[in-house]
Amino acid sequence: MNAHVRANLWLLVLTIAIGAVAYPAMLLGVGRVLFAEKAEGSLLKDAQGNVVGSRLIAQPFRDARYFQPRPSAVSYNAAATGGSNWGANNPNLRKRVLKQLGLVLKYRSGEPVGPDVASWVREQLRANPKVLAQWHEVTPDLSAWWVAADSANDEFVTKWASEHPDDVAKWRAGAEEGAEATAADLAGLFFASYANGQSTTWPETNGEDLQSAFFEAWWNAHADADVEKVPSDLVMASGCGLDPDITVKGAKYQLERVSAAWAEARQRDPATVRQTIEKLIDEHAHAPLGGVAGVPLVNVLELNIAVRDAMQGTTAGAN
Amino acid sequence: MWTLPIFLVGTMIALAIPLGFYVARTMDGRAHLPGWLSWIEQRIDTGPQNWKQYAVAMLIWNVVAFVVGFAILTLQPYLPLNPDHKGMLSPTTVFNTLCSFLSNTNLQHYSGEVHLSYFSQLFVICWKQFHTPAIGLAALGAITRGLRGDAHMGNFYVDLWRATTYVLLPIAVVLAILLMACGMPMTLDGNFAVTTLDPGAMGSDEAGTALPQTIARGPVAAIVAIKQLGTNGGGFFGPNSTHPFENPSDWSNVLENISIMLLPMAVVVMFGRMLGNLRHAAVIFGVMLVFYAAFLGWAVYFDSTQGNPGLVAHAEREFTIDDPAAAGGRRDVPLPAVAGLPVDQALGNHEGKELRFGTSAGPTWAASTTCTSNGSVNAMHDSLNPLAGLAPLAGMWLNCIFGGVGVGLINLLIYLIVAVFLAGLMVGRTPEYLCKKVEAREMKLAMLALLVHPLMILGPTGLFAALDWGAKSLNNPGPHGFSEILYEFSSASANNGSGFEGLADTYGFNDNAAPAPYAVHWDIACGLVMVVCRFVPIIAPLAFAGSLAMKKRTTLTAGTLRTDNVTFGCVLFGTVVLVGALLFLPAAVLGPVAEHLGPLPFGR
Repeated sequence: MNAHVRANLWLLVLTIAIGAVAYPAMLLGVGRVLFAEKAEGSLLKDAQGNVVGSRLIAQPFRDARYFQPRPSAVSYNAAATGGSNWGANNPNLRKRVLKQLGLVLKYRSGEPVGPDVASWVREQLRANPKVLAQWHEVTPDLSAWWVAADSANDEFVTKWASEHPDDVAKWRAGAEEGAEATAADLAGLFFASYANGQSTTWPETNGEDLQSAFFEAWWNAHADADVEKVPSDLVMASGCGLDPDITVKGAKYQLERVSAAWAEARQRDPATVRQTIEKLIDEHAHAPLGGVAGVPLVNVLELNIAVRDAMQGTTAGAN
Repeated sequence: MWTLPIFLVGTMIALAIPLGFYVARTMDGRAHLPGWLSWIEQRIDTGPQNWKQYAVAMLIWNVVAFVVGFAILTLQPYLPLNPDHKGMLSPTTVFNTLCSFLSNTNLQHYSGEVHLSYFSQLFVICWKQFHTPAIGLAALGAITRGLRGDAHMGNFYVDLWRATTYVLLPIAVVLAILLMACGMPMTLDGNFAVTTLDPGAMGSDEAGTALPQTIARGPVAAIVAIKQLGTNGGGFFGPNSTHPFENPSDWSNVLENISIMLLPMAVVVMFGRMLGNLRHAAVIFGVMLVFYAAFLGWAVYFDSTQGNPGLVAHAEREFTIDDPAAAGGRRDVPLPAVAGLPVDQALGNHEGKELRFGTSAGPTWAASTTCTSNGSVNAMHDSLNPLAGLAPLAGMWLNCIFGGVGVGLINLLIYLIVAVFLAGLMVGRTPEYLCKKVEAREMKLAMLALLVHPLMILGPTGLFAALDWGAKSLNNPGPHGFSEILYEFSSASANNGSGFEGLADTYGFNDNAAPAPYAVHWDIACGLVMVVCRFVPIIAPLAFAGSLAMKKRTTLTAGTLRTDNVTFGCVLFGTVVLVGALLFLPAAVLGPVAEHLGPLPFGR
C-alpha cells in the first residue's frame, strides 16, 4: 500500500507540475516572445491607438454605411458565445431568416426590396384592414415581431392600451390568474382591433419594422418577384455567433447599400464610391487554404475600417 | 468540397504510422532515457502487476484525480488566476464536470468562458486532459501485453507516466506553438472591452452611453492543443472550436482536425507493433478506415452539398396518424404547402458553421470527432441537416472507429472477439484469438463490455424522453428534440463529449437564479453514465486479456481462423454493422430519419 501512496503522490505532483504549470508557462513565454500580438487576442487599433476590436471577433454594425457581419445567436456577446442550435425542423430558424430577409433582400436590379415591402404593407392595411387578421393567422408571431422591431410601436401600443381598457380587460378574463399583458399581447389586441375596424391609426416608423415583421406576408404575395437570392451566410448564424468573415459574394450583395450610404454622407459621386469600395472588397478577399477548401471571404471588421478610412481620407473616427 | 477531407485523411495516416512505432517503443520501455528520467520512473514504479492489480491501481489514481479536481473546482472563488472573478459553481455542475473530465468525455454542462477561472481551466481541465488519455493508452498497453502472453501486464503508474510525458506532452507543445502561430491567444489577462467601430451597435445603457463589446480570452492554446490530441474535446469556450479564439483560421482547423485522429490512428499501429503482428493491425486499421470514410462521406454529402431543408419549398402533404378518438382509429392531418425562401444555399447548410475553415470542414470534423471519442466541434451539430446529424450519432454508437486514445481500440477488440466467436460458430470450431482459445468466461466479459454501452444510451434516453426531465429541456421540436436527448446520452456513454448543444442542461454558478429546469437531473444522470461507461469497458477487457494470458498457446493449423487477412476484415466489418445496426436502428429512425421525412418546419 505504501508503494501505491508513493506512486500516486509522485504522479500527482509531477503531472500537475507538467500539465498545469510548466506546459502553459512555457507556452505563455513563447507567445509573449514570438506571437505577442496574436497571444493577446489579435487586437486591432485605430490611428489614435484605441482598441477597436479583435481581428478574429465579429462585431455588430447598425449604420447603413457599414457591411453587416453574419447574424449572431448571442447578439455578438463575446463573453458568452454560442450558436442558435436550431435544427432544420425548428420553425424558429425559418422565422429568423424571414425577418432578416426583409432587411437585406434586393431585386436583381440592385434596388432593395425593403421599401416596397413597407409601402405595400401600408397600402394593404389602408385598403383592407381585415387582411391583418389573415396575416396574423399565417404568421402567429407577427404582432410580437412588429412591436419589438421599433420602440415607437411599443410606445404606441402602450398608449393604445390605456385608451382601450375594455380590450385589455377582456384579455385578462381569458388569461391566467394574475397574468400581466406583455407588449406582444397588447400588440395582438391592437391588431385584432385594427383588423375589425375599431382602431384606425397606425404608428409612423421608418418602415424597417414592417420590412422584417411583414416580409412573409409580402413574400407569399410576391413569390414571382425578380429578386436576387441572398447568399446564405448573410442569414444563417455561425456556431459561436462571432464569425468574423462573410463571403465576398455576401459583401458584394451589400455593396449598393453601403456605397449609396457613403456617397450620400460624403456628398460624392455614387459610381466612384461604389468602384472604390468594390476594389477594397477584392483587396481584402482571402479564401480557405488558398481557395482549395472554400470560397473567397472578407473579414468584415477589417473591410469596414478600410472603407471608413478610404471615405474619410484620414484615419480619424467616422463620426 | 471533397479536397479538404481527402487531404486531411491522407495527412493523418501519414503522420500516424511513424507515431505508432514511437508509441510502441515508449510503452514497451525500449526508449533510451537520460538518467534523471529513469530515476523518476523508479520512484513511480510499484512493480509488475496482474490484471487485478493493474485495475486497482487505475481506480486508485482515478479516485485521487477526482478528489483533487473536486477540491480545486469547489474552491474556485478563493484560488488565484481569476481576473474576471468567477464565483462558486453549483454542486451538480462540479460533479458532472469531474465525472466528465475523469472519464475523458469532456461533456460540458458549463460554458468555459463564463463559468471557469483560468486556475480551474489549467489545474483541472488542462491537467485532466493530459492524464485521462494516458489512462486509455496505459490500459491498451496492458491489454496488449496480456494478449501477447506476457507474464504480467506492466505497471499502471509507469504506463501513465510514459504516456503523459513521452507521448502527449511533446506533441502538445509542438501543436500549441503552431496553433499560436495561426492566431490563437495564450494569455492570463482577463476579458477586454472594446468600443465598437459603429458606436452603440452593442446597444446603450440607461444613461445612453454606448455599450462596449466585452471579449473573453485566456490561456487558450495550451488547452486546445491537448484537447485535440488526447481525444478530450473539452473546449476553453462554450462553443468549442467554432470560436475564432479556439480555431482562428483555415490552417488551425487543419491542424486541429488532424490531431483529433492522430493518436487514435497511431495506437492501432502501436498495437500491431507490440503484438509483433502488423498484418493483424492493418486489417483492423482498414476496417476502421472504411467506417470512417463512410461516415465522413455521408456527413459531407448530406450537409455540404444540400441546403438547410427548413428554408426550401415543400409541397402540400397529408399525414395519416393514429388517433383513438377518430372514426376508424386514424385521422388525416393536412399540411399546407411551405414557400421556399430566396436564399442561395449553394454552399450547403450554413447554420452553425464558420466560413473560414472551408465549405465541408464542419461535417468532416463532425465525423472525425465522433468516430474518435474526441467530442470537440467546429460546427454546431444540433444545426446539421437531419440526415447529416446521423453520422456523428452513428460514430458514437459504434464507438470503435479509431475511438478514444487506447479505449477505441479496446472497444473494437470486443467486437473482434464477437466476430471471432461468430466465425467459430459458423465453422464449428472453438473460437481462437491470437492462438488462445476464447471460451465462456471470455465471451461473458466481452458481452458485458459490449452491452453496457447500448444499455446506458437507450435506457436513460427512454426515461428522459418519457418524463419532463427530457421533454422540458429541449431546444427543438418533434423528432429533433428526441435526437437531442439521444445524442446527449450517446455522447456521455461513448465518452465523447460533443452535444446537440441546444439541450438545456446547464446549472452553472451556485447562485444562478434561473438554472435550466432539469439541469440537476442531466448533471447526475450523465455523470453516472460517463463513469460507468468509462470503467466497465476498460476493466472487463483487462480481465479478458488477463484470462487469455494464462492460457496455453494453441498451434497454428490450416483450420485456424486467421485474423490477418481481408476475409477476416469483412467478418469484422459485418459484425460491427450487424450488432451496431440491430442495437440502434430503431432510435435512429425515431430521431434523424423521422426528422428528415417529417414536416419541415415542425409546427409553427
